[in-house]
Amino acid sequence: MKKQSRVGSRLLVGLMFLFLYLPIFLLIIFSFNAGDSSAVWKGFSLHWYTELFQNRLIMESLYITLLVSLLATAIATVAGTFAAIGLYSLSKRKRDALLVVNDIPMMNADIVTGVSLCLFFVAFFQGWGSFARWFNGMQSVVELPARLTLGFGSLLLAHVAFNIPYVILNVAPRLRQMDKNLVDAAQDLGCTWMQAFWRVILPEIKPGIVSGALIAFTMSVDDFIISYFTAGSSTSTLAMTIYGMTKRRITPEINAVSTLLFLTVLTLLVIVNVREARQERRAASLEPRKLTWLERLAVRTSTPGWRWVKRGAGAAMGCAFVAAVVFLTGATSARPVVNVCSWGEYIDTDLITQFEEETGIRVNYQTVESNETLYSLLKSGGADYDVVVPSDYMIAKLLEEDMLEELDYGNIPNFSLIDERFKHLSYDPENRYTVPYTWGTLGIIYNANAVEEEISSWSALYDSRYAGEVLLINNSRDALGAALMYLGYSVNTTDETEIREAFALISDANSRGVFQGKVMDEVFQKMEGGNAAIATYYAGDYLSMVENQADGVDLAFVIPEEGSNWFVDAMCVLKDAPHKAEAEAWINFIASTEANLANMDYIWYASPNKEALEQYPAYYEEMYGEPLDQETYEIMAAPPEVLERCEVYENLPGETQRLYSRLWVELGS
Amino acid sequence: MKKNKRAIFAVPYVGWMALFVVTPIIMVVIYAFSTAGGGFTLENFMDMGTYASVFARSFWLALLATAICLLIGYPAAYFISKEGPRFQRIAMMLIMLPMWMNFLLRTYSWMSVLENNGLLNRFFAAIGLFDLINQVTGSSLAYFTMINTQGAVVLGMVYNYLPFMILPIYSVIEKMDNSLVEAARDLGAGPARVFRKVILPLSLPGVLSGVTMVFVPSVSTFAISRLLGGGTQMMLGDLIEQQFLGGAYNPHLGAAIALVMMVIVVACMVVMNHFGEGEEQAVML
Amino acid sequence: MSKKLISLADCCVAFDGELVLDHINLYFNDSEFLTLLGPSGCGKTTTLRIIGGFLTPTSGEVLFDGVRINDIPPNLRQINTVFQRYALFPHLNVFENVAFGLRVPKTETVNGRKRKVKVPEEEIRERVLEMLEVVSLKGFENRRITELSGGQQQRVAIARALVNRPKVLLLDEPLGALDLRLRKDMQSELKRIQQQLGITFIYVTHDQEEALAMSDTIVVMDQGKIQQIGTPEDIYNEPKNAFVADFIGESNILDGVMHEDFVVEFFNRKFKCLDKGFAPMEPVDVVIRPEDIDIVPAEKGQLRGTVASVTFKGVHYDTIVDFKGFKWLIQTTDFHPEGETIGIILNPDDIHIMRKSQYSGMFGDYSSYSEEYDELEDVSLLEEDGEGGDEEE
Repeated sequence: MKKQSRVGSRLLVGLMFLFLYLPIFLLIIFSFNAGDSSAVWKGFSLHWYTELFQNRLIMESLYITLLVSLLATAIATVAGTFAAIGLYSLSKRKRDALLVVNDIPMMNADIVTGVSLCLFFVAFFQGWGSFARWFNGMQSVVELPARLTLGFGSLLLAHVAFNIPYVILNVAPRLRQMDKNLVDAAQDLGCTWMQAFWRVILPEIKPGIVSGALIAFTMSVDDFIISYFTAGSSTSTLAMTIYGMTKRRITPEINAVSTLLFLTVLTLLVIVNVREARQERRAASLEPRKLTWLERLAVRTSTPGWRWVKRGAGAAMGCAFVAAVVFLTGATSARPVVNVCSWGEYIDTDLITQFEEETGIRVNYQTVESNETLYSLLKSGGADYDVVVPSDYMIAKLLEEDMLEELDYGNIPNFSLIDERFKHLSYDPENRYTVPYTWGTLGIIYNANAVEEEISSWSALYDSRYAGEVLLINNSRDALGAALMYLGYSVNTTDETEIREAFALISDANSRGVFQGKVMDEVFQKMEGGNAAIATYYAGDYLSMVENQADGVDLAFVIPEEGSNWFVDAMCVLKDAPHKAEAEAWINFIASTEANLANMDYIWYASPNKEALEQYPAYYEEMYGEPLDQETYEIMAAPPEVLERCEVYENLPGETQRLYSRLWVELGS
Repeated sequence: MKKNKRAIFAVPYVGWMALFVVTPIIMVVIYAFSTAGGGFTLENFMDMGTYASVFARSFWLALLATAICLLIGYPAAYFISKEGPRFQRIAMMLIMLPMWMNFLLRTYSWMSVLENNGLLNRFFAAIGLFDLINQVTGSSLAYFTMINTQGAVVLGMVYNYLPFMILPIYSVIEKMDNSLVEAARDLGAGPARVFRKVILPLSLPGVLSGVTMVFVPSVSTFAISRLLGGGTQMMLGDLIEQQFLGGAYNPHLGAAIALVMMVIVVACMVVMNHFGEGEEQAVML
Repeated sequence: MSKKLISLADCCVAFDGELVLDHINLYFNDSEFLTLLGPSGCGKTTTLRIIGGFLTPTSGEVLFDGVRINDIPPNLRQINTVFQRYALFPHLNVFENVAFGLRVPKTETVNGRKRKVKVPEEEIRERVLEMLEVVSLKGFENRRITELSGGQQQRVAIARALVNRPKVLLLDEPLGALDLRLRKDMQSELKRIQQQLGITFIYVTHDQEEALAMSDTIVVMDQGKIQQIGTPEDIYNEPKNAFVADFIGESNILDGVMHEDFVVEFFNRKFKCLDKGFAPMEPVDVVIRPEDIDIVPAEKGQLRGTVASVTFKGVHYDTIVDFKGFKWLIQTTDFHPEGETIGIILNPDDIHIMRKSQYSGMFGDYSSYSEEYDELEDVSLLEEDGEGGDEEE
């Protein structure tokens, strides 16, 4: 009977592990997928593993992750160990009070820790800025950098801050258990305090230090939320890169890198585990039994002959330190850099390499998901971009708040290639700040196989027949814009009743369960895979979706009869950008006809470059050996009669903007 | 003499904590009570009523996830602790190991499982489940809606935080003196009674820390609700994130929400620990 | 041959304003076995820590060979300690534990230049093995500390302290954690080692039997003060006050009045005694050891009482006798049942007279004598442990 209950409990434990590991197995399996889907198996391939080492974004973020984790662990381990020793020499009352504070980062929600550190850094940077300006004004011997932003430094500090408590938590019990007389004994036997520390305290608390360091390292590698708030825009850990990707489509390279990481740790853990088991067995002096091959391997690695392996690990740590120093100084060194911020999948990445090769300027290319997010990032001091590519209305807003730098068009000769239609637009009437990047339209994307009739009106978005099949665009301007248009109002209305009416329409549909979700770039993965039937998104993105659509999905695009929004995204340079010259070089490069053609071909957004727009059908035919479908071309670059139906977003007055944000949050709650 | 010498080690740490633990939290408080212009205001808290439903949903879903974690995690921890040392060691390793696969990635993997056109629905379709249901009920079901529901969000939380429930419970049960159980048996208690009267109360500290470790990240998550809830299940984390790095830039409101959340969570924990301590003492007596 | 090796001159120690050592004046001779004896919290461990250098006296001087050593850290003193719970290094094996002190590089000044001096490996080996032989642990070199019994750990701790060839060995309740049998063995073992090496042992204990059995000199302490210094015989036979009388062995302590030299009155009766030098009619404490009392038939006794309880103790019976409400402990080899009326006879040399002190009236009444008495002793043992911890804070 006893045996039976064992079986039952083992079954439960087994099921739990199945639950824990099922998604992991899936990830590992799909890292060997020949196709790029994470749901459809297209055959075995190691393709993504070779691809991985070519992927700069992933490799760089992997490097940052490991570097930050190693450095933070090393610093936190040393600092935490000494702190624990210090704590244990204080009176119990003081120690307990400090341990409560020590627990704060562990007990607090990560998001609170992240947000609080973010606010702290930003406040510090502001204070530092004023100090540096004052200091630089006072003397001219040392020039202090006045503009500090979130980045590697703040990320590292944040990681150290949340790692130290874990180290203390692990070291403290060891200190508590340690016979207090041990140190006295060592001193009694002739040690100075320092010698006693090295010869007695350290070996005694070593297990605590090691496990503290391991936990800290694991926490560091796994952390996303705190990094997200403290890394700023130019530094990205693997987790942040993955988060950026989850919005669109995780490229299987991520599966590959995670699989490698996972297997490495698995191997290490097995070795450690087997060693421990062996030691325990020896301690218990049980009969020696035959070793398995893994154990034999572990035994071999623990013999003195393998000491060099341990030394190697130590050396690797040391190298990481040196690398960090090099990296940190390298970041501020003479090599010219330009920090560019754009939208996801909004550039032909070959252009970046090409630009770097031509000019020697390193491009730090980052993406954010929406104009509003960009604005938040800029405001919170988390960004150190030079070039940004906001849309029309956001440019107006940034200008209104004096956040853009005037451009020197003498450095941007290619500006002359821009079609006159896209110059002197309402957001920048004198055209002193911007160079257009792309333009396009907003419309409805739908899966023709999943709807009953051809869609031609915004009404489809609020139609109960499509309950659970509609994706609402997760951006107040576009979502409310579509509703306003459907109701026959202007997208730029400031009339509160009109806006509220539009909101009521969305809110009502929401309560009827029409919307499956609110998405931005997640729309790609959802629509391509046939997981939703109707979405609002941009024309260019529709064309990339069509390229990737799964079997059985037939995507179509329409600019509804009520009209829509047409937009221009333009490149601007931020006020006080540290690399203005490089920024202008970049803008000039991107404005060239060749770059515009390449971009147009890659991202399917229309170019504002007159030559490029006209030459594209020919370019397409040359590249692919077949003529460009006229319909496709017209979706990319909407013809004048369509544009006539469309309206451009204008910057709304502050009060209306606040109403938008309020309503938008209300919808979610 | 020697005492002072060692206390010196605590000094930099105290400074560090003041700078990187206490000051940031003070910053949150300052932001929560100020306007963009810098003046004092309570407006950020007045607005809080608007988000009552977000608070309610966050706490409800987190509670649900915590309860499920406890229901799965406790027996699992208990059963593991009853196995041999080798089994225990391997089990613990396997529980820690998933942390090395980034949680976003694992959550994303669930996304591909739960989608309308995802692996699970494909699997059901392949075994003819939908045809069967449609034949029986006359409906035209093509998939089960699993993604973007509260269920999916709770699943994501349970999946991600289950190890945090198992580990503390396991470590408490594993350290438990077996002679206590034997003593209870000796005094005539049956297995159920032994569990209820001895094992359960003694493992309460582990349960409490497990509950905290699951509840706190659950209530404040934003990535899980975003990936598996599709933006429809807004949680406190989403709300805060939106105010800082998202679409509705207003760090003052964000700080206020974070502060309120922190206060509620701390209050819950204090109450719970207090309750827990009482229990513990009762057991000791 | 004996000379003053260590002296404490007017030493005081205060923790948080509380006086733990109160003006201690004490000296330790070369090659003697001296015991600091007292209940928990009496300041004996504190005294030891001052000598060891783990504690600096708040005031007063510590002299070693006539040189002030107040500020010399423990690692530079030619004194080694055997700690209460041995404080063996768990991460080292037996050999390495003993070798620990030899492996520490010492800074020596040679020709005005500082340099680190290490003991050669060969010498280390020789000295460690020699020491292990002294403590009868030959062949245990490679054992782990956790694999040793309490007594073996004790020996390692002694070997480790002695390998540095100290002039003085401090032992802080070294036998406290051992069982009775082992404790007896180790007592003679310690005495043997001390005699063999001819160095000073300063031994701290709360166990009076241990103190009596091993010491050349005993220092009885209480409440931070020295109560009495003397040879074991002196201390036992001529206790200076009620505290010493009670702490060393069992005593019946009574209020009495000294009428004149050699005549004391108690229980309204005059007795002859051997003491003199008191003022006429001076109130005194009278000590009578339980084993000195002779029981005679009731009618022959100087005093008459009723047996209140009897406990068999192996060699003798502990008989509690009620004399007009005052209960005496009498140890006798004859059995007298409960309720029997008996008489006792006190010879002049059985009666010890002490001046009144702060301890008068606190001890010596066996009205509540029972198992509690033994329990009290256990408690004091526990408290002693607690005290060690507190000092560390």
